[in-house]
Amino acid sequence: MRIRDTNKERVVKEKAAEMLVEYGFEGFSMNRLARACGISVATLYIYYKDKEDLIKKLGVEIGEQFFTETLKGFSAEMSFKEGLKKQWENRARFSLKYPREVAAYEIIRHSSHGDYILTESMKGFKEAMESFFSGAIKRRELLPVSTELFWAVAYGPLYTLLRFHSEGKSIGGKSFKLSKKTLNDALELAVKALTP
Amino acid sequence: MILDIQNILIFKTNIQTKSAKKMVLEVLDNFDEIERSTIDLDDRDCVLRIVSDNLTTDQIISTIRSLGFECAELE
Repeated sequence: MRIRDTNKERVVKEKAAEMLVEYGFEGFSMNRLARACGISVATLYIYYKDKEDLIKKLGVEIGEQFFTETLKGFSAEMSFKEGLKKQWENRARFSLKYPREVAAYEIIRHSSHGDYILTESMKGFKEAMESFFSGAIKRRELLPVSTELFWAVAYGPLYTLLRFHSEGKSIGGKSFKLSKKTLNDALELAVKALTP
Repeated sequence: MILDIQNILIFKTNIQTKSAKKMVLEVLDNFDEIERSTIDLDDRDCVLRIVSDNLTTDQIISTIRSLGFECAELE
């Protein structure tokens, strides 16, 4: 009798993320993944219909984990500054803790499954962020900018710094390590830019 | 995720093209005992995956072979 093993499932998901980052979509194969996990191809197919199914499920799971983490300690009623600070903390923590999953998620997000995994994993998150965004504009704590402009200015600096950090270097190959102070300074600048 | 893994049968085949896949799945569609069947063309083993309560692996293998394809159970 075949028994479902949740530990094995965890290993499969970790290895799948790793393989996706290392080999990309094209190089990713169920056979290769099964070998890397030390399980049979048949076992892998018990859990997943095919490669697409596995990749979609992986994307949704990472997405859900990300959005849950991002909402931790956050409320749509927070002042703009407090709320954005919480978002930065949560997003930075997740990126630093799960770099491989974040990289895999980015790959899936930019594939043909991108829209599917976003809709599936963003439930609840979108509403909270929209209410935070419109509340902040109403209270005149935030300039009435478009959501795209808001996103670019509010999170652009954070993700740029996180990228420098993960690459270990910044502009011109200069070595870089993200400090709390740099992150706070960048947040202050983003808040200042968006405050009326 | 609730999944009854006892009912899933996995086979290695040589069903390699979209048209072959379509044809095989149409044939399998006629079996009332088969809840769902999929073929992964992306994989080296062209894995056929069948969800069925009461069909045996031998019944599947002989059906696929009768269509002119190779088929063996993947352990």
